Amino acid sequence: MDRNESLPPEIELAQLLQKCAARDSAAFRVLYDRTSPILFARLLRMLRRRSVAEEALQEVYVRIWERAAQYEAHRGRALAWMVTIARYCAIDLMRRERMTLVGDDALAEVADESTAEPGAFEKPNHFDDCIGQLSENTQQCLTLAFVEGRSHDEIARLTSNPLGSVKSWIRRGLISLKDCLSAERQTA
Amino acid sequence: MKSSNRELVDRLAAEYVLGTLRGRARRRFERWLVSPQVRGIVNDWELRLSGLEPSLQKVAPPTKVWQGIENRLDLAGSRRSTRRWLAVAASVLAVAMVGLFMLRTPPLAATARATIEADPQTIYWNVELLGDSKNPAQELTVQARSPHPLESGKAHELWILPAQGNPVSLGLLPASGRQHLVLTAAQRQALAGAKQLAVSLEPAGGSPTGLPTGPVIHVAPLTTA
Repeated sequence: MDRNESLPPEIELAQLLQKCAARDSAAFRVLYDRTSPILFARLLRMLRRRSVAEEALQEVYVRIWERAAQYEAHRGRALAWMVTIARYCAIDLMRRERMTLVGDDALAEVADESTAEPGAFEKPNHFDDCIGQLSENTQQCLTLAFVEGRSHDEIARLTSNPLGSVKSWIRRGLISLKDCLSAERQTA
Repeated sequence: MKSSNRELVDRLAAEYVLGTLRGRARRRFERWLVSPQVRGIVNDWELRLSGLEPSLQKVAPPTKVWQGIENRLDLAGSRRSTRRWLAVAASVLAVAMVGLFMLRTPPLAATARATIEADPQTIYWNVELLGDSKNPAQELTVQARSPHPLESGKAHELWILPAQGNPVSLGLLPASGRQHLVLTAAQRQALAGAKQLAVSLEPAGGSPTGLPTGPVIHVAPLTTA
């Protein structure tokens, strides 16, 4: 199976972003049509509330249009660049909306969500090996932070672990991941 | 960069990208991003952590989102002025964002309201001031109701008519949807004791002078909630 079949080709997105940088609003519309269902799904995953995710999506595309000139085409990864803008925007909005999780329902909801297209995003080389070397707890903390946008406090509450442990798992996990990825790159 | 600094930046960059660097620490770190070195470290972490990116079922957003984007960026409006107004929009946004992050924890309640209408059957916008007993004017929401006629290349701008002095802009009124704004110190000050809001007709992107340049088409009383 072509694992990228459901995603727009990177090269096309990169070209569209370059046109946006040249203030081509027709290209911006095409870019929006191609990518907004992906970014909206991602924002919903973090923000949960539809109305807030809609507001965030608007803000995300305003930022994309304004920052299109900062996208460096030679680095590729156009969709990843856009998803990153969406993630940061969601984190900013969470603070404003003072979103907090109520009880453990939210975790159950997270577990229930099935991922439809495994591996659709390209991972760095050896990523799965390196993440697999981390403890279950660490992996869970990193995922809750990155995928769900949860704060240290929220992760501690959701996983019923002490805040100090959560912070140190995350901190050490990040260092281990970095070391492992750079070691694998050198030996590859 | 000293190696100890580099370690600190690397740690902060990792948690910035992961999303666990929050609040003021996040804002402070964002100011460092102008440094190409720091930017590079962040880029490296963005690449590393991209492996955590989930694959989700796509969800089509409602069409009003695109309309909102088009309005905010004035994509349909005159091309020549777009760039200039984008810069204005960006700086207004920056000010709004700064205000946003200074938010306090207790929830805000509506403290005053204004209705901009042709008659009670034709309400164009509902404006609400949000605050608490200490600072009654902290944020503003505008809800567009009936669409207001508007020729192309023009915009509706909302103004505070302060107790004394010149009108102070509250920004452009949305053609549709809801707009939320964190008030600047100048806007808060102008709102203290203000009894009225006004709407003027301005070039797309807003008044170029900071004062109303077009006709004032509505004046609405600001009543305490």
